[in-house]
Parts: sequence; structure tokens; C-alpha cells
Amino acid sequence: MAEKNPKYSRRDFLRNGTRISLLITLGTVGGISARHLTHEKYVWQIDPFKCTQCGRCATSCVMSPSAVKCLHAYDLCGYCDLCGGYLKSDPNKRSTAAENQLCPTAAIQRKYIEEPYFEYVINEDLCIGCAKCVKGCTSFGNGSLHLQIIQSRCLNCNECSIARLCPSDAISRVKGSKPYMVKGSFTKES
Amino acid sequence: MKNKGILIFLIILAVIIVTVVTIDYSTSKRGELPPNPYELSTDPFTKVDTSLIIFKETRDFALDFNEPRGVCIKNGQIFVVGDQKMQIIEPTGKLIREVSFDQKPATVYCSGKNIFVGFRKNLSLLTMDGNKIMGWNAFSDSTVITSITEFEGKVFVADAGKRIIRKFDIEGKPQGIIEGKSGNEQIHGFIIPSPYFDIAFNAENELWVVNPGKHTLENYTMNGDLRTWWKGSSVRIDGFSGCCNPAHFAFMPDGGFVTSEKGIVRIKVYKPSGEFLGVVAAPSKFSENAQAPDLAVDDQGKIYALDLDKKMLRLFIKK
Repeated sequence: MAEKNPKYSRRDFLRNGTRISLLITLGTVGGISARHLTHEKYVWQIDPFKCTQCGRCATSCVMSPSAVKCLHAYDLCGYCDLCGGYLKSDPNKRSTAAENQLCPTAAIQRKYIEEPYFEYVINEDLCIGCAKCVKGCTSFGNGSLHLQIIQSRCLNCNECSIARLCPSDAISRVKGSKPYMVKGSFTKES
Repeated sequence: MKNKGILIFLIILAVIIVTVVTIDYSTSKRGELPPNPYELSTDPFTKVDTSLIIFKETRDFALDFNEPRGVCIKNGQIFVVGDQKMQIIEPTGKLIREVSFDQKPATVYCSGKNIFVGFRKNLSLLTMDGNKIMGWNAFSDSTVITSITEFEGKVFVADAGKRIIRKFDIEGKPQGIIEGKSGNEQIHGFIIPSPYFDIAFNAENELWVVNPGKHTLENYTMNGDLRTWWKGSSVRIDGFSGCCNPAHFAFMPDGGFVTSEKGIVRIKVYKPSGEFLGVVAAPSKFSENAQAPDLAVDDQGKIYALDLDKKMLRLFIKK
């Protein structure tokens, strides 16, 4: 028959065990809280240099309309009269008439600056991220129009439904502290 | 009996789940997507009727350049610049001489007596053997030199950054500028949305300038007065599309124009009057997202296109 340890009773064992458990729990909770405070968030974003303007961003996003919108890098824009991103190919006239506009939702506003320069401004609320203008601008112009996921509209799904279908793997997770991959050096608010 | 019912139910459920997963997987697979209602096809503009192609590619020269930038031909020799060097090449492809620079050249022009190598903000004058005669000082901070030409000691330098043509004597002394302004209300100076601004003299010693934002080719007197111009603004094969085309041009021996375009990259020929003649190289000849090739034409009308992406000099002759 084993001898009892007179200095370490069952009561002591339970008491110490409870203390250790509480300390471990406290440490775990503290660690998780600290990690939440210091850990950097990652968000989905489109690399405009990989994007092939397939148009899937408009139809594949779980948001309706899509969280993907067109941005305009004004410092790359030629402010052209014949804008490949605004006008349909071979328009009957270079005007703001609906039949000449490439955008299916008329989300691009053409503003006259001075002869022969025009500024093109994206209305984010109307844009559905279809990339027609981006393809037109890239094919015929300087490529100043490009797509980006607008973080305030994105649900940041665990698996982005557009990234899953993107044929050029242009969508990836980027650091939340630098959530955009904007072409050029600046854009304007719409 | 009860357990058997549950088993049948579970089997049916499993079959349904497998079916749904399989259908979902097969329909959402890459390349097997339903038609996209928003797709913009540029095929109508990239496909060219073969009857319009009146030149054929006969030879390619692989170049020892990482970033070739410009080409010119004179006296049966080909001058190619890029990286930080210039190579003088025989039409057979044999390297005659290589000249190194301390900057990246952007363009080259050979007058027959001299070679002018343009860098971003300044240029160097060399003998036809490639020996440096002198370097000119930078013109301005915002200067972007895109093209050089010369006639009877008057050197014309296209400055895309300032949207002007600078005129110098052979010593580099400024002789004025050409802004492209005229009384004609359809011509409003040079519109240069991106750094493509080419100039050249034809065989009649007339100065021609591309106004890329207007899709025009304009003829100026030596004093900078507009004499005549022609325009080809259209996405169709006979015109120039996009924001800044033609990106480069050269003259055929008969005074006709050879043009190369950016965006939808293609090379075409036009009569001296500006009337479309045919296609030298269709867009299918170039890689996707290719840059506009620089052009040079020899005395026999052979067209040399400097393919900046494939790093090749491509030779086209008339069919």
C-alpha cells in the first residue's frame, strides 16, 4: 500500500490545478486579444497589370452590384476626344449620346475641359465593374482606366467568388494597410 | 425495417449531394463559363482581311538588346539603339560596331554624314563610324525626346514633354521652335497624350510631323508654318485609332508613308496623299500588349520594323 504524501493533499492538488487552469485561460484570452489587436488584416484586391478585362467581376461577385469598380488614373490619361474607354468603337459621332457610349450603365461622365481635351469621371454608384471601358482604354488608349475592389463595398469573403473564377489570377489577398493597387500616382474621388 | 428506411434516405441524400457538387464543380471550372454579357471583343479590329496585306515578312534579326528603342538605315547600314548602346549592323545581320553610352538612348537618326542619338533630355552627335563628336546639353527638365531629323545643317528634335519641335543648327545652337499652331481652326498645336511624337523629312525635303492626338500627319515649312496635312481618325483598318497614333512613321522611296500604331499594333502603308494603300503587318504578327515598333525603310523600299517586345528587327518586302 502506497504512502500518502502528508504535505500535498488532494485539496491542494485541486486548488493548484484550478489556479493553473485559470492562468492558462487568462493567457490564452490575452494572447488572442493581443493577436487581434496587432495582427494585420488581409483583403482581396485586383492587380490591374494582370487583369485581362474578361468582365467576370461584374457577374461573379456576391455583392450586387459588384464591389469591383473602375478607377481612373488621371495622370496616365490623355484626356482624348476619341476615348476608347468612353466611346464605342467606330461611333457615329464623338458625343455623349447613349448610342455612342461603351458603358452599359452610363457610369462615365465626359467633361469638356478645353479643345480638344475631355476629362472622364467614373460614377462609382453606377459602375458595375464590367471592365468594358477598361478593355477599350487598354486596347486603344493609355490604360488609365482600371478595376479595383472597393473595400468599403467588399464583404471580404473567406473565398472570393471572383478570385475563384478569374482567368488571369489577378485577384489576391493584400495587406489591409495597403488595400489598393492603383495605377499611376493618384486618382480623384468620383 | 425502420433502419432500412434511414439507410435508403441517407444513400439518396449522398447521391444528391455528390450530384450537386459535381454539377457545381463542372460549371464553375475555368474556361467552361457561361457566355459573358459584358465582354468587349476587339476581334473585329484585330482581324485583317488577307487581301489587304500587301507585304510579307522575309527575315528576322534577333538583337542583342534587352530594351531596343530605335532604328534607322543609311548607306546600307542599320543603326539600332537601346539599353545603353548602339549597334551598327550590316543588312546580312553581321555586327560592324557597338558603341556604348552612359544613358539609355530613346531614338536614333542618321543623316549620311552624322548619327544623332537622342536620350531622354539631350542628344549626342556621332560620326557615321560611331565616334562621338559632341553632346548637347539637356533642353529642359520636362523634355522627352522622341524623334530627331536633319536637313542641310538644320536639326529638328521632337520634344514630347514640351509638345514642341526644337530647331537647332548642327552645333546645337537653338534656332527656334515649332508649336504646330496655325490659323486653321482644325489644327490646335501638337496633342501628345503619351510619348509618341515622330518627325521625318521625305525625299522632297518636306518636314512631316505626326500629331498623334489628332491622328494627323502634318507638313510644315522649315520656319514652322503649316503647309498641308491629312487625317485618318478611325478604328477601321484604314485609319488611326486610340489616343496617340500613328506612334511612328517613315517614308517609302516614292514618298508614301509607313506607319506603326500602338494599342492595336499594326503597320500600314499610305500613298503620299494619305490614301490608305495596304497592310504591312497585321496585329496577329505581334504579341499581346506589344509596343508600337519603330520603323526604317531602305532605298529599295524594304521596311524594317523594330519589334520591341520580341527584341527583333523584322524585315518586310512587298509581295
